[in-house]
Amino acid sequence: MATLVETLINGLLLGALYALFGLGLSISLGVMRMINIAHGDLIVAGAYIASVVTQGAGVHALTSLIVVVPVMFAMGWLLQRTLLNHVVGSNVFAPLLVTFGLSVVIQNLLQEVFTADTRSIRAENISQVGFDIGGVSIGLLPLLSAGVSVGLFALTHAIVGRTHYGRQSRAVADDPSTARLVGIDDKNFFAIVTGFALAATAFAAVLYAIRTPFSPTAGPERLLYSFEAVVLGGLGNLWGTFFGGLIIGVAQLLGARVSSGLGPFFGHLVFLVILLARPQGLFAKAAR
Amino acid sequence: MTGRAVAAERGANGRALHGALKVSRLVLSPVILAGLIALPWYGDFGMQRLLVEVFTLFAIALAWNLLAGYGGLVAIGLHFFIGVGSYALFSISNVLHLNPWVALPFATVCTAVAALISAWPMFRLAGAYFAVGTWVLAEITRIAVLNTGWLGAGAGMPLEMISSFDRWSRNAYVYWSSLAVGAGSLVLTVAMLRSRLGLALKSVRDSEVAALASGVPAIHAKLALWVIAGSIAGTAGAVSYMSTLQVTPDASFSLSWTASAIFIVVLGGIGTVEGPIVGTLVYFALREAFAGFGSWYFIGLGSLAVVMMIGAPGGAWSLAQRFYPIDLFGIRRRMPVAKTHPEAIRS
Repeated sequence: MATLVETLINGLLLGALYALFGLGLSISLGVMRMINIAHGDLIVAGAYIASVVTQGAGVHALTSLIVVVPVMFAMGWLLQRTLLNHVVGSNVFAPLLVTFGLSVVIQNLLQEVFTADTRSIRAENISQVGFDIGGVSIGLLPLLSAGVSVGLFALTHAIVGRTHYGRQSRAVADDPSTARLVGIDDKNFFAIVTGFALAATAFAAVLYAIRTPFSPTAGPERLLYSFEAVVLGGLGNLWGTFFGGLIIGVAQLLGARVSSGLGPFFGHLVFLVILLARPQGLFAKAAR
Repeated sequence: MTGRAVAAERGANGRALHGALKVSRLVLSPVILAGLIALPWYGDFGMQRLLVEVFTLFAIALAWNLLAGYGGLVAIGLHFFIGVGSYALFSISNVLHLNPWVALPFATVCTAVAALISAWPMFRLAGAYFAVGTWVLAEITRIAVLNTGWLGAGAGMPLEMISSFDRWSRNAYVYWSSLAVGAGSLVLTVAMLRSRLGLALKSVRDSEVAALASGVPAIHAKLALWVIAGSIAGTAGAVSYMSTLQVTPDASFSLSWTASAIFIVVLGGIGTVEGPIVGTLVYFALREAFAGFGSWYFIGLGSLAVVMMIGAPGGAWSLAQRFYPIDLFGIRRRMPVAKTHPEAIRS
């Protein structure tokens, strides 16, 4: 029983990290209606940047965020300005195929620069520390990841709901051409949104890099977990993405208890089953 | 000359060109086909193996292009069908001790059934969600096969029954199968696009709302397309693994199949039948020339695809069409030409 509770709690904590993977995807879907296929590869790229900073400057993994977050913001801004703005708002396949090509480029660039070997970032003072609460052991790192995830979702929620940028983003999401009429420079705005999405992704990348060894080809799997979190949560529902991530995390760890190789299988299975039962997602807003 | 006269002349030229194309199609295609059929008697094994790859990948690209270019169904998980097709062939042939070429049609049926079943969850997603959803489908199937003992788990399985054939006939039969798959899928595609189904699909692609309003059964047309394209890809995958004699989950359910198909279609031209033909030629030319560069080759290919999508979304075929507007397979529907007397136009 205690082990089942432990699996559930760890599943929730892992799920909070998956939700954080999905946050960037959810933002770009909500505002620009596009799925970035390279999202997972950008998470992995962030992990590599963090490892370079950590080793090069000899700082703690979490300190590397000071560099990784602005670098990822700049990458997102540039990517949107130079490439993605050409295809946003067009047909379905143009953004998909451009980001698909980008995904292949990023994976192979990482392979060329860092070789195909797996890497990890050592931060024993958080990854090796755990608490024992009533016979249930919980690691500090998963707790920290979940805290960061909740914090970033709350921050994004506040920005969307209360700030000038948030009002702009809702206007552009509802009707880009009318938003342009009332003076929103949507191309520049999209660049800032993608920059923000990747800055949030930077946190996910660093926490992921401390938790799991990574390699250049690890991206697609991250994309699928992010995607499942977003779809399960209901499209355009920020906190839905968070709960979608929790479901995938719990399903994976419960599945891994059945058979150690089947964790991701059960995550995908739960995704497909919920999709059949509620195609609009679990927490979809009512159709307008 | 008035504008109408110019238009009439251009129309006449177009009809003449169309007629010439029809003749050359009737004369040229049997000659090319005969040359390709006879290849095992004059070409070596290496050449046959390369052409097996060319024909099967062409069929897979054609299937991907049918879905994306005509049905608006961008399937990043098309490799689902490659895996299902090849595993169906290997397990049917091994378990029933069947000649692999007898088992091949059953593998096609298996992929068609898999397409029908998978449409149930997948067709609840649309657009970009459908695209990534199919990828989840391919991934969950890969993990399932990876953990299934009687399918050989991670090590996969060999095609046992093929060892009873000598090397020459084995190579030749695989080669002819791939030629049949490549040419057959081309004929099937053209026939389908000329049929009512093709017209329905094109109307849905151009405006789903307008098509629905005029009574086009959009969802049925898309389902039929999904099953046809899935069967083409599955059969091509099965033939491709006949040539390698061993199937593994990681190779057959690999994203690289879909990636190659996407590169071919994007380079050649999405939403045309000529596009995948041009794209296959370009893709293999690039691969034979630059594959030695490893990662840099893929970086170049990916960048090329990105630049093409932004600069020339219609691919190489659309660039060629700007100068020579031809329709190789007679798929485009024309406005009926008004039957007026030439004198009437001139006045």
